[in-house]
Amino acid sequence: MKIMKKNYYRIISAVCAICSFTSCADFLEIKDQREIILEDFWNEKADVENIVTGCYSALQEDDARKRMMVWGEFRSDNIASGNNINNDINLFNVLKENITAKNTFTTWVNFYDVINRCNTVIKYAPEVAAKDPAYTEGDLKANMAEVVALRSLCYFYLIRTFRDVPFSREAFIDDDQKMDLPATPFKEVLNNIISDLESVKGDAVRRYPETKDRYQTGRITQDAIKAMLCEMYLWAGDYQKCIDYADEVIASKKQYAEEYDKKRRFTGDKSTIESRLNGYPLVYDNMTGNVYGDAYSTLFIETSRQFAAREVIFELNYDSDPAKNGKPNNGAISSYYGNERSEKGLVTASSYIDNEVKESKAKELFEKEKEVRDARCYTNYSPDNKSIVKLACKLIQIEAPAGSNPSYGISLYPENSNGSHWVIYRLADIMLLKAEALCEQMKAGNDDEDVAFNKPKLAEAFKLVNAINKRSILKNTLTDQDTIKAADYGSKLLMTQLVKRERQRELMFEGKRWFDLVRYAMRAGKTDEVVTAVGRRDDVNSQFAQNFFKKMDAIFWPYNYEELKVNHNLVQNPSFGSGESSSYEKTAK
Amino acid sequence: MRILKSIIFILALMFSTTLSAQTITSVHGTVSDDMGPLMGAAIREMDANDRVQNSTITDLNGNFTMKIRSPKNKLKITYVGMADVVLPINKTTFKVMMKSKTTLKEVVKVGSKRMQGNTLPIPQRELSYATQTISMKEFEGLGINSVDEALQGRIAGLDIIGNSGNLGSGSTMRLRGASSLSTLTDANPLIVVDGNIREVNLDNFDMQGANDEKFAELLNINPEDIASITVLKDAAACAVYGSQGGNGVIELTTKRGTKGKPHVTYSLKLTGTYQPKGYDLLNGDDYTMMLKEAYFNPRQDDNASDGNAIPEINYLDNTSGFSEWRQYRDNTDWRDAVTQWGLRQNHYATITGGGDKASFRIGAGFDHETGTIIKQKLSRFSTRVNLDYNVSQRIRVSTNFSMTYTNNKRNYEELLPIALKKMPNMSIYEKNPLTGEDTDTYYNMLQSGDHIGSEVFKGDQRTYNNPVAVANLAQRNQRNYDMNPELVISYNLLGLDDEHWQLNWRGSVYMNISNGYNDAFFPQELVSKSWRDKVNTASSGSNKSVSFNTKQTLTLIPSFANKDHSMMMMGRFELTSGSSNSQSTSAYGLPSTGSVIVSPTAGMIDSPSSGFSQWRSMYYTFSAHYAYKGRYVADLTLRADGTTKFGPGNRWGYFPSASLKWIISDEPWMQKLKPVLSMLAIRPSWGLNGNQPGQNYLYTSKYGSSTPYIDMASMKPLNIRLSDLKWEKVQSYNFGIDVGLFDGKLNLTLEGYQSTRSDMLLGGYRIPSNSGFKDVPTHNNGKMRNTGWEFHINTARLIKKGKFSMDMNVNFGNNRNEILELDPNILDSKNSVYGYANGETLQRVQLHNPFGAIYGFKYLGVYQYNYNTFKNAVAGMTPDEIQAYWQKFRAEGKTAPVAVDANGNLILSGNNVPVRIRYDYRIDGTGHDQNFPGFNGGDAIYEDLNHDGQINALDITYLGSSLPKLTGGFGFSFNYGDWRLSTQFTYRVGNKIINKARLNAEAMVGNDNQSQAVNYRWRQEGDVTVIPRAMYGNTSNYNTLISDRFVEDGSYLRMSYAQLNYNVKKKYLTWIGLNRLSFYASINNPFVITKYSGVDPDIAFGGEAPATDNAQTPRSRSYTLGITVDF
Repeated sequence: MKIMKKNYYRIISAVCAICSFTSCADFLEIKDQREIILEDFWNEKADVENIVTGCYSALQEDDARKRMMVWGEFRSDNIASGNNINNDINLFNVLKENITAKNTFTTWVNFYDVINRCNTVIKYAPEVAAKDPAYTEGDLKANMAEVVALRSLCYFYLIRTFRDVPFSREAFIDDDQKMDLPATPFKEVLNNIISDLESVKGDAVRRYPETKDRYQTGRITQDAIKAMLCEMYLWAGDYQKCIDYADEVIASKKQYAEEYDKKRRFTGDKSTIESRLNGYPLVYDNMTGNVYGDAYSTLFIETSRQFAAREVIFELNYDSDPAKNGKPNNGAISSYYGNERSEKGLVTASSYIDNEVKESKAKELFEKEKEVRDARCYTNYSPDNKSIVKLACKLIQIEAPAGSNPSYGISLYPENSNGSHWVIYRLADIMLLKAEALCEQMKAGNDDEDVAFNKPKLAEAFKLVNAINKRSILKNTLTDQDTIKAADYGSKLLMTQLVKRERQRELMFEGKRWFDLVRYAMRAGKTDEVVTAVGRRDDVNSQFAQNFFKKMDAIFWPYNYEELKVNHNLVQNPSFGSGESSSYEKTAK
Repeated sequence: MRILKSIIFILALMFSTTLSAQTITSVHGTVSDDMGPLMGAAIREMDANDRVQNSTITDLNGNFTMKIRSPKNKLKITYVGMADVVLPINKTTFKVMMKSKTTLKEVVKVGSKRMQGNTLPIPQRELSYATQTISMKEFEGLGINSVDEALQGRIAGLDIIGNSGNLGSGSTMRLRGASSLSTLTDANPLIVVDGNIREVNLDNFDMQGANDEKFAELLNINPEDIASITVLKDAAACAVYGSQGGNGVIELTTKRGTKGKPHVTYSLKLTGTYQPKGYDLLNGDDYTMMLKEAYFNPRQDDNASDGNAIPEINYLDNTSGFSEWRQYRDNTDWRDAVTQWGLRQNHYATITGGGDKASFRIGAGFDHETGTIIKQKLSRFSTRVNLDYNVSQRIRVSTNFSMTYTNNKRNYEELLPIALKKMPNMSIYEKNPLTGEDTDTYYNMLQSGDHIGSEVFKGDQRTYNNPVAVANLAQRNQRNYDMNPELVISYNLLGLDDEHWQLNWRGSVYMNISNGYNDAFFPQELVSKSWRDKVNTASSGSNKSVSFNTKQTLTLIPSFANKDHSMMMMGRFELTSGSSNSQSTSAYGLPSTGSVIVSPTAGMIDSPSSGFSQWRSMYYTFSAHYAYKGRYVADLTLRADGTTKFGPGNRWGYFPSASLKWIISDEPWMQKLKPVLSMLAIRPSWGLNGNQPGQNYLYTSKYGSSTPYIDMASMKPLNIRLSDLKWEKVQSYNFGIDVGLFDGKLNLTLEGYQSTRSDMLLGGYRIPSNSGFKDVPTHNNGKMRNTGWEFHINTARLIKKGKFSMDMNVNFGNNRNEILELDPNILDSKNSVYGYANGETLQRVQLHNPFGAIYGFKYLGVYQYNYNTFKNAVAGMTPDEIQAYWQKFRAEGKTAPVAVDANGNLILSGNNVPVRIRYDYRIDGTGHDQNFPGFNGGDAIYEDLNHDGQINALDITYLGSSLPKLTGGFGFSFNYGDWRLSTQFTYRVGNKIINKARLNAEAMVGNDNQSQAVNYRWRQEGDVTVIPRAMYGNTSNYNTLISDRFVEDGSYLRMSYAQLNYNVKKKYLTWIGLNRLSFYASINNPFVITKYSGVDPDIAFGGEAPATDNAQTPRSRSYTLGITVDF
């Protein structure tokens, strides 16, 4: 028995010895050596700034950009299929109005990626402010305003495309979070993003330092937030707020332009420019000699953005980067709108636009009864090589000697190094939004009271449209013959139509047209304008379009069917089938 | 004399008693046996731990004297041939009588073979779980190259398929069926060498050829070093490996040193190998003819293939203006040019030996091999040193060290696939433009510049390098060092034998160090491109992996007074930690074009990359074995696994298992049957096992860089962290029956099993993308079940008559799997939408169905007549006349592409025109290809199953299963005196294979060379054939859809090897001082009996896709001559 006891001691001590090996409890805790993990991140100012930049870079990615173009414009009358469209069957189906839930352009992950990055910043940036003294209250507020603005912009894109979308201000980090959110109605999302923006509009940066000349247009500023609010209020039907914010933006841009001119010691004839642009700080042609097109080069192509910033409010920045330094170029434009190699891109202008541009006497889109000397006939689209000039070209020159027909010289960017910026808001856009709001405020009646009520609004709206119109006339000095006349647009209806036309020709191919049509339809409660526009399309059977667009739902897009599979709280847009072809499943044994 | 002796004895006795009160400081005495005194007998003083304290030997008269250190010690007297004598030191004078060993009375010692490896040393008889062991003795002298070759066809339920015939490539193994739906978890069984797991974790390792290497780990173990292989099959057997053993375990035990004189063995094997040929390919003349038709047919236009359009196939002369005309007039057999007889030599030498204290075995081998594809060369040096040193009876130290160095000179790229596609009318060497003779420059199709020939070759032939040139000029070298040092100490804390309680501690430290280097160079001579296009490229990469493992094991074996009970218990703690990193650089525009690999740093660096990974784990194991009366056995194992792959909450997995055995034949009431039924036992077992994902850091939220914006660096959150991820669980039941007949002459084992996987780790799980992410890398989902049975028989001297004896082994098994539950989304994502393309497989994974079902069209031959021919023939007839004409037409066996309804009548359109058979035609224009006019003469006839007048996805039907009904193997061995003949066969029955290799070789849709079968193609109306016409372009025709034309029976019977062995009789050897001399000759893989038309029906099947033959390099055949010499 004694021996047994001794044995027990031995056994116990041996077991203890083994157990002592296991005392290191965090042995199983290892850290990724290649990536930074959450626990080690969000410590200093630079961490926040890097993720904020990441929000922009996600928006700048090709797939997000392509959606801005496809959602915003490609179902409209501006666009027809171009070269090798068969290679992109999804795009082809969009152009044919054969959109199903399986179409890849119905995926929205790129926008929610931006939204999630923004939400992540909103979640963690205040923690950093508490930790890092170098990260000041002001920095924090500016960053928060920046990401709230980007998030709102993304939601705005989503609701204009899908109407009702899942809405969340929460950052998704963990797989046990609830992700299958039901769609929040259009109106509610719109109100949410408006109130978000209202709450941060004063926190954003007003001016970026001059040394960072591309930040002023490439990052969120107070002007950008106000521009968003301006458009959102227009969609929400609050026209006075829309006009107020448009005025604030115009005033701010005017101040910028004045400061800029002062700094540059601008000595030119200011009054000519003032009168030409009706006092608005738009980017303008130099108006010396016979060569035009500079204004559009400045807006979309120039690398330095200081001059462009008088008009451009917010844009995504690209570099043509021929030296391959890893700077992102605008690949979406290169493949969709054309490049040096295949002049015509996957899409081109519709024959409707083609005809409008080619005819010396305009028919519908450009103002009638006068010789077309509108620069936009040349800068929007080239009937020669069918490329979208203002974005696909690195050089635009229109030679328009007085008395003879204009000719133009353009040169396209090489493939895969398009450096055009993608303008999301510019002053001309805001001015036209204000003009639209003014029109909406007008009264439709013909009695004196209504006319008197409408008169100042008509004048103001005309002044806005006229400024944009006059900028693009290919003449150095303008006579009454050259310009549109207020008298021709003396009613609410005529003015509304003028504003819409001006909007279409000025912002053509900038990803706006389809959203405009959606807005018109929502406001009117009917789809007539959409049907007319789609009826002009080359790729769509007009009979089909008439039937299809009877329903309001058809102007929006279907949810992606992969999304419906994992999110059972989403209800598909009734105008679109699920897109599933399940026919052969039955025969399989 | 006798009186004198007795007086001395009495005196001595008295003397000793007087002295015994005092301390004994020295002893003396005599040692003798029954023949008289013994000279040279050894006398040692041993302490309690059996350590030698002092020693001496007896003199001429058998006397000895020796000082001793302590009277507590013992004296041990030994002499060669005599039984050892151990005496306590209780006197000073000893008179020892030694007895010859041979005259010892026979003592019946109850001992038995015990289970070796990582578990308790359970007697073989009491094993209650499913295992199968093969002793490597059976393979001695066989021409096998690696362990997997030896195992093929020998283990019931183990399916081994060679990945490819390339040098240094391993094989895929599946124990008891495909076990996983996911590629995230490894489905190969765990390989354990002497209790140590080979763990090489290469996360993000992107070096070319890594896949080949991955399962080639087995190749680094020389078969000559292996003593036995045990395959653990059921959960109870694998339980000690916990989650690592989820796919089964293959345990290898290496040979160790044995007592005795140093013993040297040398063996040499010479093996010749060659590649089975496969399809006969078109020669240059047939090829150009085929291509001309292929270009003519879709457009029906002579200009499509004339000398202007495609000069390369028109045998132009110097007047044509085509500068390369000389180069395209050949009949080159590219396959012949790149294949050869390979030669392998394996040298292996071992020296073993040892004594009481220490034993050793040192082995070293050198292999050199040239491949069956030219310019492949593999050298391997391997060594293994096993040393055992008994410090005392209680303490034993072992060190093991093994190292393998492999230098594999591979081809830069796989040459055989290129050789099979390359145009045969092109020449290997550039022809002298004047004389037409070969120059010594390799010819490459011009790739850039003006006037370089037809653009039609741009996408294919122009991109194929000249394989002979690639073999000779380009290089890809791979070198690997693999080292495994191990130190083991075992200490018996308590008793040493069965009479006492035993408590043994065993501690081991093991390391696995593996380094690999990969260098490649591709010179500019192989392309005709300019420097701008990045020529003269080189890449260089390396990877290192170090892992460390320690195991602390305590084994307790109680000794019960009642011998009916026996018990063992084991507790073990194990800890593993390792890391690996890799980097690679590639560069272009290197200055030199010599044959030496230039360091990439000399050129323009292109894409440097690097990877790092780290892993750690901890395991606790408790195992107990209990037997009552040696016939009622119970085993229990509990294991806790901790891993770094899961988040804090789910880090530990607990895996219990239990098994029982009842040896019925040992029951007293069965004794009468004993002469016939020597063994009858049943073994039920149950166990829970697990699996972890192959990726680390899934539970952390990570941040990484993203594209910069303007001039600002940017970062982004990279993932959704998986805090909920948990262990995949495998629950399995096994029921085994062991039967031994005629005193163990014939042994049968039958096993039935069912294992259910739940919470399967599946990859790429889709999540709602409003989270900002589309999917998560891994997700627990679904349930899957494997059910099957296995049967194996082996014999011990089944037939024995005089000098002749015979043995056999037979095994077969079947496995069926079924998906029980799966998220419908995952299921859906695994089911492809049919894309209507040639060669596309429609894949279906359905609940409650096994994997690997093959779906396709029914193939009925080739349309003899064009549609227009038929249409014109019936133009103007009334519908009745047309139907009558059609019935007659059909009765004559003629065919035309017209739509027929279910009653066999023609479908006519409004104006009495027969409707043409179309391909996925939809009225709304959303069909697959609206430009395709419909089938025509020379096109494939697919059965229109639903008689809707067109061929579409609705006509796809079930064509068979990739799962074999039965797999297994059998072998016989015959002995006659010194001669031995052994054979082994493997077989698989009842599975179907999609022969995509043949599909591509008969498609005639591109510029690749085709098989000679296409010479029987349809060429003109009226031709009766099964090969459709040549049609260039993938959408010009739908003649190679997956149909039963390409779905073939994959059943086969293969002779794995046959070997003849001869041992030279010892009496002829002694005069030259040899112990053993044996010669052998063997043939490996000499023939396969199969209906399968491809090169090799041994097609890997795993996961959900059907088995598809994609023309991988087939298993080579080989002939081996060998000699083994023992000194």
